[in-house]
Amino acid sequence: MHPFSIVTLAIFVAGYGTARWDLVTRLYELAVFAWDKGVILRGVQGVSLLTLLFLVIFLPVQRLAQSESSLAPSRPSQRSDMPEHAGLMRVFWPTDIARSDLPGVIVGWRNSDLDVVVVAILHHVDPRSVENALKTGVLLRGAPHSVPRIFELCGQSSMHVLGVTNAAPDATVEPEPSWVRATTAPALRAPRIACSKASSVQTILFDRPIPHRMQYISLDPIALALANKEDSSLMSISDSSEADDEKQEREAKQKRRQLVAKLRQHGVVKPAPSMKDKALARIVNQINWAWELEHLLQKNVSLIGTRPKRTLSVSERVVEHATTMRDYVMHWVWDMIILYLFPVIRRAFILALVGHRVAAELLLMVLEWRLRPSSPALKDVSATAQQVEIRLQQFCYWPMQYVKLRLRKNDWESVTTSHPDYIRFYNSLWLVANDVIIGIALGSYIIDNAGWVAEQISLLLRQYTVEALHSSIEWLMGWPAGLKLNKELALFLGDLFLWVIEYWASCISTLHPLLPHIIWFIGFSSFAGASMPIALLSDLLSILTLHIYSFYLASARIFHWQLTILLSLFQLFRGKKYNVLRNRVDSCDYDLDQLLVGTILFTLLFFLLPTVVVFYLNFAIARMSIISLKAVFDTLLSCLNHFPLFALMLRVKDPRRLPGGIRFELRDTQDRLALDYPSSLPSPAQPPTSVIYLKPIPLTFTAMFHQYFQMGNRIRKHYLSPRVLFCLMTGRFVPPIHRKNLYSLQYSMLPATRSGIFEMWEALNSLPVKKRPVYVYPYSFHNLNLPNGNSRRANGRRGGGVY
Amino acid sequence: MLTTSPYLHTRRPSPTAAEFTLSTLPLPLNLPRRVILLALNGIRVLFGLTILLLLYSKWLLSSYSRPFPSSDHFSPPPLFFSDGFIQKTIFIFLTTTPAQLSIRLADATPLWILLPATAAGLYFILLRIYTEESLLVLRGLGIQTSSSANTVLGSPVTRFIPTEKILDVLVNEAFLGFEVRYYLVVVVEDDAEVVVVFPKLLPRRKVVEEVWRGVRGCLREGKGYEREE
Repeated sequence: MHPFSIVTLAIFVAGYGTARWDLVTRLYELAVFAWDKGVILRGVQGVSLLTLLFLVIFLPVQRLAQSESSLAPSRPSQRSDMPEHAGLMRVFWPTDIARSDLPGVIVGWRNSDLDVVVVAILHHVDPRSVENALKTGVLLRGAPHSVPRIFELCGQSSMHVLGVTNAAPDATVEPEPSWVRATTAPALRAPRIACSKASSVQTILFDRPIPHRMQYISLDPIALALANKEDSSLMSISDSSEADDEKQEREAKQKRRQLVAKLRQHGVVKPAPSMKDKALARIVNQINWAWELEHLLQKNVSLIGTRPKRTLSVSERVVEHATTMRDYVMHWVWDMIILYLFPVIRRAFILALVGHRVAAELLLMVLEWRLRPSSPALKDVSATAQQVEIRLQQFCYWPMQYVKLRLRKNDWESVTTSHPDYIRFYNSLWLVANDVIIGIALGSYIIDNAGWVAEQISLLLRQYTVEALHSSIEWLMGWPAGLKLNKELALFLGDLFLWVIEYWASCISTLHPLLPHIIWFIGFSSFAGASMPIALLSDLLSILTLHIYSFYLASARIFHWQLTILLSLFQLFRGKKYNVLRNRVDSCDYDLDQLLVGTILFTLLFFLLPTVVVFYLNFAIARMSIISLKAVFDTLLSCLNHFPLFALMLRVKDPRRLPGGIRFELRDTQDRLALDYPSSLPSPAQPPTSVIYLKPIPLTFTAMFHQYFQMGNRIRKHYLSPRVLFCLMTGRFVPPIHRKNLYSLQYSMLPATRSGIFEMWEALNSLPVKKRPVYVYPYSFHNLNLPNGNSRRANGRRGGGVY
Repeated sequence: MLTTSPYLHTRRPSPTAAEFTLSTLPLPLNLPRRVILLALNGIRVLFGLTILLLLYSKWLLSSYSRPFPSSDHFSPPPLFFSDGFIQKTIFIFLTTTPAQLSIRLADATPLWILLPATAAGLYFILLRIYTEESLLVLRGLGIQTSSSANTVLGSPVTRFIPTEKILDVLVNEAFLGFEVRYYLVVVVEDDAEVVVVFPKLLPRRKVVEEVWRGVRGCLREGKGYEREE
C-alpha cells in the first residue's frame, strides 16, 4: 500500500475516534466486562475442542473415504462418457520404414490422443519446424494431385508430429506428454515405444501395401461381382414354383433373424464404443495411403531443416546427360505422334465405337422385344440370343468401364475404390479374348472337317433320336422284361408314337443335305468366340429333339389324366367324394348304378395304368437326359463367360491385390535379435508392450467361385428337389429352370441398366487429352532433385510401366 | 497317445492383448514323443511315395507313355548332368523288387478303382494330426478366432470381428449327442449367425469359463482392467 494512503487512513481513524470517543470507551468497557466474566476463556476452550474433534474424527474419515473412492470409482463417473483411457497407447508402425539409429521425427496421423498411425520418419530435422511445416503445408508441396483429397479420405484434418525416434536423453526439445519416444535400430525388428502418458503399449506392425502395384487392404472381402440388383431380379420372376422356393428360403431367413434379435435382447448393456474402436475403418485407409504419403514427405523434407546435401559428381553428370539424351529423342518422337497423329486416331475410334453402339442398341431391341409384357422375349427362349445379348451388353459396358478406369489416373494411386472395377474389366476382356482364341481353333477345325462332322452329327441324330426311340417303343409293344402289359393299348400307343417318329425321320432326312451348311455356319460363327457354337448347338439340340419333348408332354398328359380319374374313382369306391367348396373329402351316398359303373371304370383304368406308366417313363427319361445335356452346355457357357480367370491369376501373382480381410498375429515381445543389442541404449522404462502384426488375408477360392456355388445350388434346388420327384411321379409337367435365373451369374458382371448412346458419347469425349509437357529444357535438372542418384531409378520406373 | 485332450495356453504380453490357444499337441515334447512323431512323419512320406510310384507304374503301363529303352541302350554310361542319367536311374529303380511289385499291383487294379483310392490315400496322409484353435483379444481392435486347417497344406482359417460389431461374448450350452457342452459364442451385429469360438475342439466348461473371464477383462476398458493395476 502506498505510504500516503496509509497516512490518510491513519488520519481518518484518528479523526473518527476523537469524534466518537464515547464509542471507544464503550468498547473498552465491554472488553473488560467480558474478561471479568470469563467469556474469552470459554471461547478459547470451545475452539480448541472443535479443532480436536476435527483432527481426531473428520480428517481420518475423509482420508478413508478418499482411499475407498480411489479403490472403486463411483458408478456415475464410469457411466458418463468415459474419457480416452490414459493407459493404452496404440501405434501402427510400418515394418518397411527405414530402420536406422539416427535421431528422427515421427510424422503421421493422430486419430485420438493415444492412437496414432505412423507415416514417415524424417531425419535431420527439428520437430518444431516439422510441426510448422505440416501446418503450413510445406511438406505436401509438389503433390501430383489434390491435397484435400488425402485428408478427406484419411478422415483427419492434418498430419501431426507424433514423436521422436532415438532422441538423446539430453535433448534440447521438450517433448509433449503425448509424444511417442521410439527406439529403432537396424537389429530391432519392432521399435521400442514409450510414452509418458501411456501405461501400456500396443505396437501394431504392418507391411505397407504398395499403391502403384494396386495392392491394398480392406476389412471386407473385395467384391468380384456387381452386387446392385441381386434381390430385384430374383423377386421379379413370375414362375410360381420358383416363388415357392424363394418364399420358403425367405421365411427361414426371417426366422433366423428373429432368433438373433431375441438373442440381442438377452445382452447386457452394450458400452458405447470408444474412439479407438471407431477408428478402425479410418486406419485402414490411412494404411493404404502410407506408402504414397511417405514418399511425398521424404521428397519435400529437404525444404526444411539442414539436410546434408551433395551435388552430383562429374561422372554422375555424364551418366545423367547420356540418359536424358536418349530420353530427349524419345520424347521428341512421342510428342510428334501425340500432337498430330493421336487426335485423328482418337476421333476415328470414338466414332467407330459410337457407331457400334448404335448397331448394338438396335440388335438389343430386337432381342428384348416382347409381344406382351408377360410373354418371353427372344433371349429368354434361345441360348444363342442370350449369348449374343451378353456379348453386346459387354461391348456397351466396356467403354464406360474404360472411362472410369482412365479417370483413376487423375487421382492418387492410393484411392482403392476402382480396383474391383479394374479386375472386372480386365477379366471380361481376357475372357472374351480367350473365347475368341478357342473359337478360332474350334471353328477352323469344324470348317475343315465340315462334311465329316455333319456325317457324325446326323449319325448321332438318327441313332439316338430316331432309332433308339423306335426300338424302345417296339420293345414296349412286346412284353418288356416279361411284364404282361395290355396288348391292345400298348399297340395303339406304340403305333401312334411310331407314326410321328416316321414322319419326323422323313423331316430329318430332308434336312440331311442341309446339315453340312449348318455345320459350316456354326463353324464360321465360332470366330466370334467358342461360346457361340456351343450356344448354337444347344439351340439345335432343342429344335432337333422337339418330337421327344412333344411325346413327353403327350404321355405325361395321358398319365396325369388317368391318375386323377383313378384317384376320384377311388374315392367313389370308398363311398366318399371330394368337396370342392370345403376343400376336403366328405362321405357321399351314391346310387347303385353310379357305384357299379364307377367301380367297373376304376378296375379298367387300374389295369391299363401299367401300360401307360411304362410309355410315360420311357419318354420322361429321354426328356431328363436332354435336360441334363443342356445343363452341361449351359455350364460350359457360364465357364466361358464368367470364369474368374484374372482374379485367379492375381491370386497367384500378387495375393495382396485381392484383399479378403485382415488378420492379426500376436508376436513374442522379446526380440531375439535385440538381446545381443547393447542394452545401454537410452531407452526409457519400457511399459508392458504387445507386438502385433497386421496381415492381409488373400481372397479365398470359395469366395472367388461364390457365384458358381450359387448357380449350382439353384440348379440343385430346382431339379433335385422332392417337388420335382413328385411332379415326375404324378405326370405333372416339370418346368425347365428359368433362363434368367440360371444366367444371373453371367449378368452379375454387368450393370442392371445399360447406359445410353448419348451418355457414352459424352463420357468418351470427356476423357482428358493425354498431356505431356513439351520438352523445353532438355538439359535442366529441375525434376532431378532427388539426392544420391535416385533419379536414375525413377527414370527407369517411369519407362517400364507396372501395369 | 498322439493327442491329448485340449489344453489351454495363454499368452498375455500386456494387459490389453491376450491370446488363448487350445491345442491337442501333447506337451512337453520329450524324446519318446519326438521319436514317435518323426517315425509317423516318415511313414507318411513313405506311404505318399508308394502312392506316387503306383500312379507312375500305371502311367508306364498305359499306351500313352513312351516304351522304355532296353538296358543295352545305356551301354556308354551317360553323363551325370543329363537326361540319360535320370532315365538310367529310373530304369535301374524299376528293376528292383518294390517297383516290380507296384507295377504288378497297378496292372491288377483297374483305373477307376486306382484313381479314387490313391486320391483318398493322398488326402489321408496329408491330414493334420493336431488341432489347434486360438482366440486373440485386442483391446480397441476386436476379437479374432482362428482354427487350423484339416490338412497340412492349408493355412489356418481366421475371422476378425471388430469391437464395434461385437454385441456380447457369452457362454452357452447345447446338446451334443448324449452330453451337454458349454461353448463360447460371440454375438455379432448384422450377422445372421453367432460365431462359435473353438468350434472343432469344444473344450470343457472350466476352460471355457477361464477364457470367457480373460476375454471380459481384456476386451473393453472397465473394472476388470482397473483391478489388475
